[in-house]
Amino acid sequence: MIAGHCQTTPTEFFLADAAGQTNVTTVSWWTDRHFFLLAVIAYGVSAVYSLFLWRKGFREHDRINYAVLLAGLLLQTKAMFMRGLSLKECPVHNLYEAMTFVDWTIVAVYLVLGLLPRLRYLGAFASPIVAAIGVFALMPGLDPAHTGQPLLAANALVSLHAALTLLSYGAFGLSSVAGVMYLTQEHDLKFHKLRAVFAVMPPIDRLEKITNRLLWAGLVLLTAGLALIPFLPKIQPDLHAGTDPKIIWSALVWGLYGALLILHGRFAQSGRKFAWGAVAGFAFVVLTFWGVNLLSPSHRF
Amino acid sequence: MPLLVIGLSHHSSPVTVRERFAFAEAAVPGALQELRASGLAQEAVILSTCNRVEIYAVSDLPENQAAARLQQFLLDYHKLPAPPGGEIYARGGREGLKHLFKVACGLDSMVVGETEILGQLKKAYDTALRLKHTGGILNKAFQKAFNVAKHIRTETNIQRGSVSVGSVAVELAERIFSSLSEHPVMVIGAGETSEKTARALLSRGARSIFVSNRSHDRAEALAQELGGRAVLFDDWAAEFPRIDILVSSTSAPHCILDRAKLEPLMKARKQRPLLLIDIAVPRDIDPSVNFLDNVYLYNIDDLQAIADDYLQQRRDEIARCEAIIAEKAGALMPAGSSVAAAADAPLPDLGKASA
Repeated sequence: MIAGHCQTTPTEFFLADAAGQTNVTTVSWWTDRHFFLLAVIAYGVSAVYSLFLWRKGFREHDRINYAVLLAGLLLQTKAMFMRGLSLKECPVHNLYEAMTFVDWTIVAVYLVLGLLPRLRYLGAFASPIVAAIGVFALMPGLDPAHTGQPLLAANALVSLHAALTLLSYGAFGLSSVAGVMYLTQEHDLKFHKLRAVFAVMPPIDRLEKITNRLLWAGLVLLTAGLALIPFLPKIQPDLHAGTDPKIIWSALVWGLYGALLILHGRFAQSGRKFAWGAVAGFAFVVLTFWGVNLLSPSHRF
Repeated sequence: MPLLVIGLSHHSSPVTVRERFAFAEAAVPGALQELRASGLAQEAVILSTCNRVEIYAVSDLPENQAAARLQQFLLDYHKLPAPPGGEIYARGGREGLKHLFKVACGLDSMVVGETEILGQLKKAYDTALRLKHTGGILNKAFQKAFNVAKHIRTETNIQRGSVSVGSVAVELAERIFSSLSEHPVMVIGAGETSEKTARALLSRGARSIFVSNRSHDRAEALAQELGGRAVLFDDWAAEFPRIDILVSSTSAPHCILDRAKLEPLMKARKQRPLLLIDIAVPRDIDPSVNFLDNVYLYNIDDLQAIADDYLQQRRDEIARCEAIIAEKAGALMPAGSSVAAAADAPLPDLGKASA
């Protein structure tokens, strides 16, 4: 799991005697990837615990899952800080870093929404997704050593572009979580499952509003991220935006989510279809993200 | 001077017996005065509801004698002969205290966990307190009973969930809509159950109510009571696009709403979620409408099943509540204390079943 390039240099402590002649070196082997691994373990524990909550019908207000995800987020924040400090910029340069950023966004936004007790069960639906993304991010080969490209690394706009687009994927991810929650509750109500009334879940119209707002937030962030493309430095002079698969893919994602929001807002699309749209949209993003990055000359890490 | 409880409840006697022993609200102060004046009780509270008539008293007479004389007071006051047996029960000391706690928590109620009894108990106590018929023992016992009721309400699930058809309907509506105030309700058929359901919805924030009935006069009367608007029975479909919750309980022998009729109405409603509560028998709404998007249909059996399940959950909590009550009663009246020892002595057999 830890295989891959460790971006953070192990910490070294130099101790000297009174005469200043003897040096003792202590090395801390805790790299940022170790902290991220611990965060993913916390997300995994939360995902397993969520299964028990689901089996019990989400009947009690849940604080344990919230606390576990909070612990995971703190560990992940530590990991991202370590990576960011070692790079001296926002850590969004390879697939590992991109996926940790998406994971962090989903958990952070959930923890804010989860302050409301009725929205706390979003965590039970979010944890399997963040755990899966985390495990995938830890796969070997996704975290190569930085080449130290001065052109990209030094450009704040590149960092901003990457951060905005990854935040948008986080928002889309959490909207899909709200969508799954909506579909679960809607199914229970439709088929008269007792869980529909016994579960401590928000009403479906609130879930629909949350899904809608998260999708709008994601679309605004993605629009802002894509709007920066013309101002970014070019890696290859002959590379045109219209031929870059990643840019075409991003435009497609933007169009898909835009169409979903228009259908829902203007054409009275049912809540169920809207929720399915949010879930399918994020599934498309997750399943094609890696492949399209491999195809893109400007996003190949 | 231990606490003593004597009385009748729905456990021990039918309503035909209880109603003869009931104290009218206006008669309670006089009855308390009479009881105190007799020297039988130094402190007293009379609780009289539709499900129970009980006297909580503190007497300096020996407990057995006090119980027998309190029963006689009850019979004399109402000028009744002694019941055939089993109707009147007596509890002394710690058992009496536990009984008071159980009553306050709704554990002894017909609908386990209901909260109305707590309000009635507070009112009975306030009346006795205001007229200075309580003292150190009853004040302490009743204040503790109210605290225990609060503790049990927050720490257990004894009061959780809805146990009536009307309140289950409200709970379902709250699983679909965030705020009932923004979602108009239509009641078709002005029967008793639909009226109760509408009232339950109103109590949880619903504001706009339309009432439609074959007899328009009845619709207008109910609409006026509920603060809503009456709609002619032939015109209810015209108002349909505006509403989000429908409660139907007509006596029609056939469905008044089916899929063919609802589909165009849903388009007119721009596919907003619609909750249909069909409490009519035979049913008013064709079950196939539940297959439409954004339509949630519940009939009387569906609602009753949810209510029954909640009731079962409450019953499952009884043991937990009784353990808490035993602990709290033990803390207030420890075993071995002179009061508790007196309490543990057997009371006279006022009836064959002291439920």
